[in-house]
Amino acid sequence: MTHYDAIIVGAGAGGGVAAGVLAGAGKRILMLERGPRSEFAQVPRDHLRSQRGSFYGHNAGPDIEGNPRTLEDGSIVLPHQRGYQNNAAMVGGGTRVFGAQAWRFMPQDFRMASIYGVPEGSSLADWPIDYEELEPWYERVEWEIGVSGTDSAMTHLPPYKRPYPMPSLQPNTAMRTHMKGLEKLGWQSLPMPQFINSVDYNGRQACIRCQQCVGFACPVEAKNGTHNTTIAAALRSGNCKLKSGVMVERIDCDDGGRVRGVNWIDNAGERDSATAEIVIVSAGAVESARLLFNSATKREPNGLGNHSDQVGRHLQGHYYPLAVGLFPERMMDNLGPGGGVATCQFNHDNPDVIGGGMLADDFIVLPIISWKIYVPRDIKRWGLSAKQFMRDRYRCLGDIKGPVHEIPSPEGRVTLDPKVRDKFGIPVAHLSGTTHPETVRTASFIYDRAEEWLRASGAEKVWGYRPDLRLSGGQHQAGTCRMGEDPAESVVDPWQRVHGHDNLFVLDGSVHVTNGGFNPVLTIMATSWRAAEHIVEQW
Amino acid sequence: MFNERQLQTLHAAIDRIIPEDDFPGGVEAGVADYLLKQLGRDLTHLAQDYPRFTDALEAEAQAAHCQAFAALEDGQQDALLTRVELGEVEADWPLDPAAFFADFVEHCAEGFYSDPGNGGNRDGVSWRMIGYEVNG
Ligand SMILES: Cc1cc2nc3c(=O)[nH]c(=O)nc-3n(C[C@H](O)[C@H](O)[C@H](O)COP(=O)(O)OP(=O)(O)OC[C@H]3O[C@@H](n4cnc5c(N)ncnc54)[C@H](O)[C@@H]3O)c2cc1C
Ligand code: SF4
Repeated sequence: MTHYDAIIVGAGAGGGVAAGVLAGAGKRILMLERGPRSEFAQVPRDHLRSQRGSFYGHNAGPDIEGNPRTLEDGSIVLPHQRGYQNNAAMVGGGTRVFGAQAWRFMPQDFRMASIYGVPEGSSLADWPIDYEELEPWYERVEWEIGVSGTDSAMTHLPPYKRPYPMPSLQPNTAMRTHMKGLEKLGWQSLPMPQFINSVDYNGRQACIRCQQCVGFACPVEAKNGTHNTTIAAALRSGNCKLKSGVMVERIDCDDGGRVRGVNWIDNAGERDSATAEIVIVSAGAVESARLLFNSATKREPNGLGNHSDQVGRHLQGHYYPLAVGLFPERMMDNLGPGGGVATCQFNHDNPDVIGGGMLADDFIVLPIISWKIYVPRDIKRWGLSAKQFMRDRYRCLGDIKGPVHEIPSPEGRVTLDPKVRDKFGIPVAHLSGTTHPETVRTASFIYDRAEEWLRASGAEKVWGYRPDLRLSGGQHQAGTCRMGEDPAESVVDPWQRVHGHDNLFVLDGSVHVTNGGFNPVLTIMATSWRAAEHIVEQW
Repeated sequence: MFNERQLQTLHAAIDRIIPEDDFPGGVEAGVADYLLKQLGRDLTHLAQDYPRFTDALEAEAQAAHCQAFAALEDGQQDALLTRVELGEVEADWPLDPAAFFADFVEHCAEGFYSDPGNGGNRDGVSWRMIGYEVNG
């Protein structure tokens, strides 16, 4: 059996960064990913089956067959169905098909409990680290992975020490219209920072402004995920062995709490294993918790790191209020990716609600998604008038939406289903509870601001979706292996080492204490970079 | 799956959901092809119901007009489909008319507006119509 310096479970955002840092430091690593390593052509641009519109399936995994989860009402859900809380499963994880928004959290996002107090029944808490601690790592990720943006416009943050490495993309028609709306309202207006090459960068070309960005792979690799940056560098270094199409079943741990290695199963059902000095779990918030549960020992019968019943709790994602407007003129000019102007006017300091969220205009909306979700609910859905509405007004639809900082609840959680197993026979994740109801009030407040913005931008008619109370997670899943000083209230320490285990780490969205009012991936990469460098320093 | 008559009814109905104007109607744009493909893929659970749906439309046309659905004027077809949409049917329906009709409308839209790779939206005709361009 081969022995490695480190084994990384999951080749997504956090794991991908960890691979780059460790391999770059000369560590010999094994990276295990359950999904495939896919080229552009192997991530279909299917408008009915993508990570953007999963009407009948999706394009970035996991496979629909053999990977169920279960819900509180006893139902079994498939990966593309509502309630599953899917992200993606392939080399690059969510970053292979993401929308590439590259947001730093705000200083306040790390101190939610101190600022707002803790609502009864919630597990709102401060992070053990602050913005200042993370700032150099944000900067590092922005430069190494590659982010375009305008630092001087980020007035909701402390001044940047180093600007973005690339300028923002030129605005399209919708953005210009929405910028006028913000100006009219006197709200902050900024070009969204994006993991997108606005100019040639790091040996890859600039974005060609196509119309199928979010939910799809990039035809010219101008979208910067871990697959084409840190993982590519790790593989080039010769220090990283990547095995795709293998599902890690269990982490091996001795009676003293020392982790020895992992066991996996490949797609043909063959089992194998390897040992390592350290194991890094980067399987995403739901699957990382599941793997810790499935690795229970005599000493920790409820799962590794779960001595305080914290693993799997506080599952968070983002409520995403969406308001749509019908404009007198054309908004859509086919200049992708779309989604480029944002405001952080309402992330904090809102009257009477806890936290808030960023608001932004949207990516180019695929025609079938527009039909199913964006066209006004009161138009007739068949006949000439329906067809002509799409013909004349598809391009006149615009929308504003944004991720609301969730108020976590310990009851919103991942556990193991006692009966249901996946195609390999491994117990699957069971999802139960909801986010704390305070989230609904904040989301409703943010929804109203979205409508206000659309009206100011000139929409003649506005409608939309005000979120209801539910369990959250999905593409922005986080929170299930909280970071904290106190082992009684957290799963990993501030360096992301699992309490009680010298050589077991979690580097992914699981460690987020709260998930910010922003898309989370830049923060996942920044915390992972910081933790991985620390692992190397302490070696 | 469909006999000749059922297929005629289906085509006639599709062309009222997405009628021809300056741009092709649903059938010419490939919506029926999309639907047939899906009935063997994601909509296999409706493979029995779809022929029943067309039979019911046919029965409805016979009850109201003593004619085949496909032979009715556009306006008559629209009026009949509107009754189905509202669940105000005269014939005996083996399935919930309003619910099935709503699904049928969605399936037609999927065939018309989704990517040509799904069997409909022939040569991207609906995208040309609405002004959605694809490059790259
Ligand atoms: C369509 C889409 C758009 C998005 N847009 C944005 C955006 O614009 N901005 C933003 O900030 N975020 C965005 N996200 C979210 C972002 O991608 C995630 O936050 C991020 O990828 C999470 O990182 P992670 O490391 O926690 O997990 P992931 O990236 O999900 O990586 C986990 C990996 O582990 C693998 N894995 C799981 N279990 C096992 C196992 N047992 N054995 C082996 N491998 C395993 C999974 O297959 C997966 O590849 C988007 C996501 C999607 C899908
Ligand atoms: S808009 Fe298209 S070309 Fe540009 S980054 Fe996104 S997928 Fe790539």
